[in-house]
This record gives sequence, structure tokens and C-alpha cells, in this order.
Amino acid sequence: MAVKIRLRRMGQKKAPFYRVVVADSRSPRDGRFIEEIGTYDPNLDPSVFNIDEEAAKKWLANGAQPTEVVGKLFKLAGITK
Amino acid sequence: MYHYKRDEICHFSCVKKKPLTPSLFSCKITKVIAMEEILRHALLYDFYGELLTEHQKQVYEDVVLNDYSLSEVADNLKISRQGVHDMVRRCNRLLDGYEEKLHLVEKFLSLRKKAERIKELAARRGDRSAMEEIEEISVRILEEL
Repeated sequence: MAVKIRLRRMGQKKAPFYRVVVADSRSPRDGRFIEEIGTYDPNLDPSVFNIDEEAAKKWLANGAQPTEVVGKLFKLAGITK
Repeated sequence: MYHYKRDEICHFSCVKKKPLTPSLFSCKITKVIAMEEILRHALLYDFYGELLTEHQKQVYEDVVLNDYSLSEVADNLKISRQGVHDMVRRCNRLLDGYEEKLHLVEKFLSLRKKAERIKELAARRGDRSAMEEIEEISVRILEEL
């Protein structure tokens, strides 16, 4: 079972706000996710990325696959190199 | 749609109730280069998304807003990966085309920035130079309309 770490769009129209969620890649679109490990708010300047570092590292160590965008955020946050 | 689903709210509040771990990491991102594209597309979709067909909307929401990979969306909708890729590209072109003609996003961002500045200035009550700048900004807004 492939587990993915991806962004999920929240927030109102014209004010994008994202959650970082851990979800099973086989059940897309039904909105279920395993755990929420952070948020990303690009409305603020500079944008703010909150992440539970411990949870992120745990999931990565267990083989969860971050999407390209989440991978970039992790890199910026110094979680991965 | 990316609005809350009821069961999601429940799930979310459960998560929230857990005490924050000491390792909760917070960082301010000054270099948003990596994110610019996805945000630009999210805004474009907010403004012009209703002009796409239902099918286009479904694919675009999954790929651009909810960060699914092309192959995941393809599997899910029983279409080819190439088909998803083409559709996202076509949607991007369509949305960019609308923006090029209507400039709604550009105007929105510029207005929002000015309104925020006015709010900042208004907090400095009674400050003469603040009032002057507010006047200047409102003239610029009126010119833009």
C-alpha cells in the first residue's frame, strides 16, 4: 500500500490555504486521509509553512512518498536535504 | 470542490485536540519560487474555473489543487495518463488566456495589496503623512478601476 504525503487545498475562494496530509494513494478523491501533519498558508507574506517535523520524519522513514510540491516544502523547511 | 466535507471537519477537530508535539516546526518561507506556479494556478482556477467543463474541473482540481499525481487521477477516472496531462495543459492554457484578456487576478492582487496598506496606515490614527498616503493610494485605485 503506497502512502503519500500531499497538499490538500482548503480555504475560501481567492484565499488558497493548504493542509499537508498523509493519505493512501489508492483511495483518491474520497477525501479520506490518515493524518494531518501540517499546514501551508501562502496568503501571508512571507508564506508560512507549519509542519510537525517528528511526524513528517516518521512517515518518511516508513516509506511515505511526498509529492513533488511537498518535497520542495520539506527541503525548504530542512526536513530533507 | 475543495470545500470541507462534514466528516473531514470531525476528523480535523480530533487531530487538533492532540497536544502539539514539542517538535512542531514552523518556518517562514521567503523563497516561494517553488510554490509560485501552483499558487498562480490556484488563483486562476478560483477566478475562471467556472468557465471550464465539469470534466475539466474535476481533473484540474485533483491535479492542481489536491496535488494528486497524473497517474493517480488517470487510474481513478479510467482515462490515460497522457489524457490527464493533455487536459491539465489545455486547462492551463485556457485559464492563462482568460487572464490575459480580463486581468481579474492581476487587479485582485493589486487591490488587495493597496487595501492592506490602507489598513496599516489607518491604524496610525491622526498621523498626517499616513492620511496623505491613504489619499494617494485611493487616487491610484480610482485610476485603476
